[in-house]
Amino acid sequence: MRKIFFILSTLVVLSMILSACAPQTPTAAPVTQAPATQAPATEAPTQEPTPAGFKSKDPTTLVVAVFGEPETLDPALAYETAGGEIIQNVYEPLIFYKGDQPGEFVPMLAESWTISEDGTTYTFKIRKGVKFHEGGDLTPEDVAYTFQRGLLFGGTHGPQWLLAEPFFGTGIDDISLLVDPEGNLYDDREGIKAADPEKLKAACQKVKDAIVADNDNWTVTMKLAQPWGPFLATIAQTWGSVMDKEWVIEHGGWDGSCDTWQNYYAIPSEEDPFTPIANGTGPFKLDHWTQGQEIVLVRNENYWREPAKLQRVVIKKVDEWGTRFAMLQAGDADFVAVPPENRPQVDEMVGERCEFDLQANTYKPCVETDPNKPLRLYVGQPGVTRTDIFLNFNIAETSNYVGSGKLDGNGIPRDFFSDVHIRKAFAYCFDWKTYIDDVFRGEAVQSPVIPLVGMPGYEPDAPKYSFDKAKCEQEFKLADLDKDGIPAGEDPEGDVWTTGFRLQALYNQGNTTRQTISEILASNINSVNDKFIIETVGLPWPAFLRTIRSKAAPYFVSGWLEDIHDPHNWYVPYLIGTYASRQNLPSDLKAQFKELINKGVAETDPAKRHEIYKQLNALFYENVPTILLAVATSHAYEPRYVEGVIRNPLFPGFYYYTISKK
Amino acid sequence: MITYIIRRLLLVPFLLFGVTVLIFAMLQLLTPIERASLYTRDLPKNDKALEGFIKIYGLDRPLYEQYWRWLVGVRDPQTGERRGGILFGDFGWSRTGSQPVAQLIAQRFPNTVDLTLWAVAPVILVGIWLGVQAAVHHNGWIDQAGRIFSIIGTSFPTFVFGLLVLMAFYAKLGWFPPGRVSDWANAVINSPSFHPYTRLLTIDALLNGRLDVFLDALRHMFLPILTLSYINWATFLRVTRSSMLETLRQEYVTTARAKGLPERDVIYKHARPNAMIPVVTLAGFSVVGLLGGVVITETVFNYPGIGSAAAAAASQLDVVTTLGFALFNGFILIVANLVVDVLYAYIDPRVRLS
Repeated sequence: MRKIFFILSTLVVLSMILSACAPQTPTAAPVTQAPATQAPATEAPTQEPTPAGFKSKDPTTLVVAVFGEPETLDPALAYETAGGEIIQNVYEPLIFYKGDQPGEFVPMLAESWTISEDGTTYTFKIRKGVKFHEGGDLTPEDVAYTFQRGLLFGGTHGPQWLLAEPFFGTGIDDISLLVDPEGNLYDDREGIKAADPEKLKAACQKVKDAIVADNDNWTVTMKLAQPWGPFLATIAQTWGSVMDKEWVIEHGGWDGSCDTWQNYYAIPSEEDPFTPIANGTGPFKLDHWTQGQEIVLVRNENYWREPAKLQRVVIKKVDEWGTRFAMLQAGDADFVAVPPENRPQVDEMVGERCEFDLQANTYKPCVETDPNKPLRLYVGQPGVTRTDIFLNFNIAETSNYVGSGKLDGNGIPRDFFSDVHIRKAFAYCFDWKTYIDDVFRGEAVQSPVIPLVGMPGYEPDAPKYSFDKAKCEQEFKLADLDKDGIPAGEDPEGDVWTTGFRLQALYNQGNTTRQTISEILASNINSVNDKFIIETVGLPWPAFLRTIRSKAAPYFVSGWLEDIHDPHNWYVPYLIGTYASRQNLPSDLKAQFKELINKGVAETDPAKRHEIYKQLNALFYENVPTILLAVATSHAYEPRYVEGVIRNPLFPGFYYYTISKK
Repeated sequence: MITYIIRRLLLVPFLLFGVTVLIFAMLQLLTPIERASLYTRDLPKNDKALEGFIKIYGLDRPLYEQYWRWLVGVRDPQTGERRGGILFGDFGWSRTGSQPVAQLIAQRFPNTVDLTLWAVAPVILVGIWLGVQAAVHHNGWIDQAGRIFSIIGTSFPTFVFGLLVLMAFYAKLGWFPPGRVSDWANAVINSPSFHPYTRLLTIDALLNGRLDVFLDALRHMFLPILTLSYINWATFLRVTRSSMLETLRQEYVTTARAKGLPERDVIYKHARPNAMIPVVTLAGFSVVGLLGGVVITETVFNYPGIGSAAAAAASQLDVVTTLGFALFNGFILIVANLVVDVLYAYIDPRVRLS
C-alpha cells in the first residue's frame, strides 16, 4: 500500500511540476459576449415595502450570473448588450435616459444643452469637476475627441453608423464613404491606409469641423448635416460615452491627428487596445475581467454624484442553467439569466407580481401573491428586441458550414439563398406556434413586419408567412439552383429537390432561444425531404459574431435590440445596414430598399411616413431576405430584497447606480 | 532496473513524434485558411491578401515541409517575429478563448491540477478500500451493498449526479457552492499582497498563510470531488475486488493462513500488495484522466479547469484549440505513463525482469 501512496504522490508532484512549467499567464486577452437576457422590462415605479423576511446574504455586493461575455469594452466599437452593460456603468454619456422612459433625457456629463432653431447645431455645456477613474479631469476636449474618434473609427461592425448619418447626411453611414463615395472601402483597413492622403485629410477635417470644443466657454458644439430628430436619443447610448483623450493616446489609441486616423479605422475588437480595459467617469470602476469567468466592478468613491449604494458588482459567466438556478436558489446570485423555457422553474419562487399597464406606459403597483416566496416578477411589457432568421445570399468562401460547397447532396452552393423560392420555402417551414409556445410559453406575438407595435410602418394585418409544409415543399420544387431555367420539381437533370443539400445552421451557444429556433426550422426542413440535412451548431458569442461578420454563415439566428425607438432604427439594419451586409444582400435589392427608407426618414408626417413604409413592407414580404419571428412581452425577475432597478427597455443591461440590496 | 528505465526513456521521443504526427494529420483535414489561425489571430479579410498569407506560411507546401513549419514556426517576413511553432509552446490562436492556446492552457491547467490533487485520495484510496472490504467479506452484506452501490454509481450519468448534488448540497442546504472560490476570496487572491507561488490555489493559500482562502477553495471543490469519486469508485471497487478475490485464492495465501498468521496480516501484508498491480495501472490512468480535465464535472460546477475550456472549444468547432488541448493531453499522457511504468517496475519485479 505504501508503494501506491508513493506512486500517487509522485504523479501528483509530477502534475504540479507540469503546471509550473506552463507559461505564466498574464490576465488574459479580451473576449465578447452574448446578449445577456431577453427583452428587458420597464421600470418598477412603486417599490413595495420589503417584507421583513427577505434579506440578502451580502447587501454590499450584487452578483449576476449570465452566459456569454462582452466582445469589447471600447465604447466606440461595442455594439452588443453584454459589453454595453459594462460600459453603461463605467463610462458616461453627455445625456442619459430619464428613468424608465426611452424618449426623455436628463443631463449627465453635459450640464445643459441648446439646439439651434434650424435643428442642426447642438451646443453642450460640459460639467466641471468630473474626474476619470484614473485621475484625469473631464474637459470639453475629451468630449470632442471622443466623438471624433468614434466617427473616424467607423466600420460596419460597430454602432458608428448611428452617428455618421446625422453628421454626414442620410445614407452616409460610414467615414469611408467620405473617402470613396462608391462604398468600396467599407471595413477595408488596408484600402483606407492606401487611399489618397488628401481625401483622408479632408474627411478627418470634416469631422473636426463638425465637432468643436471651446475650452474657454467649456462647451462642445456639434454641427449636423441636417436636422435629425433622434440625435439626443442616439448620443444617450453607450457609443456616446466620453473617454479621456490623454489616456486613450497613452494606451495606443488615435493620437488626434488627421495624418494618422486611417491607421485606426475599423479595428476589430481583438486588436483594439480598449477591448479589455476601461477608464470612465461612471459610478463603477472596472476592477478586473477574467475571460471566461467573471467581470468585477467596484464602486467609484470619487464619483461626481453621490457614490453608488452597492460596493461591488460581480458578473459571473455560468453557462449551465442548472448551475445558475442553483445559485439563485442559494441566494448567491441576485440576478440570473433565465431562458424562457426555464421560467416555470423560477415562477415557483415568485411571491410578488407586477403587471405592465400599456395605457400608462409603466408598471402597475406590484401585488403580493405569496408572502413567503423570494422573487418579484415583472410581466407584460412589449419588448424592444426580436430574434429573427437571417439568410445569407452569398456565403463567404472561407465558410466551414456549407458542406462540399456544391449542389451535390452533401453541401450547398454559396448562392443557395439567392434563389427566392429557397427563401420562401424556409419561411413556410418555420413553425411560429411551436416557437411561441415552447420558447415564450405563449407570451409573444408573431411580427408581420419589421417595425414594432405602435410605430409608423407597423401593419398588424400585413401579409405574413405561416407554417405550411405543403407550401414549403412547393417552393423547394419551384427553386432553380442549377439555373437551367427548369424548376427543381421538374428538372430531369436533377436539382435541389432530387439531389438534396446539407448545411450547418448557427446560433450562439448558451442562448437556448436561438438554439430552439434553429432546431425548429431544421427539423421541419429535414422532414420535408430525406435528402435535406440541416445540422444546428452552437458557437460561443465571439466566434459566432466573427463568423456572421465574415459572412460565413449560410443563415443565422440573431437578435436586434433597438438603439432608438423608431422604425428607421429597424429598417436600416435589416434592409441596408448591419444585417443586410452580413447577409450579402444584392446591391440592386438594397438600392430599392434604400430609396424607400430614405424617403421614409425624411417624411415628417406620420401618416405619409406610414404609407411609404407600407410599400417597403410589401417589397420585404416579396423578397423575404429574413424570416421575421416574434416579439416577446416582458418576464423579468428580481429578488424581493432588491430595490431601485430601473427597467428602461433601451438599457443594454442593468444600471447598477440606483440599485440597492437589503 | 536501470536498463529498463533507459529503454523506457528512449521510447519517449518516438511516442511524442507519433502524437505530433497524429495531430498534424488531423490538422490536414482543415482548409489552408483554417490552418492559418495556427500562425495568426488576424486573418486578412480579402481573398488576395489571404492567398499571399497562405504562401508566406507555406500552407500549400508539401506535408513534410508543413510539418516542420508547424514544429518550429515561421518568421514573419515584415517583423521577423516567430509565428507558431509547437516546439516553442505556440499552439496557435484560440478563437474561443480569445487568447493564444498555450496561454489558455496555462490559465486553466493549474485549476485542474488543484482539483486532481485533492480528488486523488478520495477517488482512488476510498475506491480501493471499498474493493478490499468487498473481497474480504465475499458474499457478505458489505459485498452485496458495495455491488449495488457500484452499479448505481456506474449507471448514473455524471451530469445527472452532478446536478442532483448541486441542488441538494448547494441550492437547498447552501453548503458547497459551485465555481472556484467565493467573491471575497477572489478579492484576496487578486490583491497584490497575495503571491501566486505555485499557481495552485489551495497550495498558494497555505503558503500565503490564508487558511480561510484555503478552506473556501476546498469548499468549492467538494462537490466536484464527490461527483468524481462516486462515478469512479465503482470501477475501483470492482477491479480491486476481483483482483483481491483472485489473490486470496492463491496457494501462497493458503500457506500463509496454514502457518497460522493472523487473518489481518494475511490480507493486508500478503494478499493486498499483489492484488494492487492491476489497480495501479487503473490509478495511473485515472490521474491522467483527471489531469486531462473532467469535462462534464467542470461544466456542471462551473469550475474553470481545462476540461470546461476544451469542451467549449470542441462544441464551437474551434479546431485549433481542440487540437492544442489534444496535443497537451498527449504530452501529459506520455509523461505520466512513463512515470507509472517506472513505478510499476519498482513494485513488481516481474516487469523489470521480463
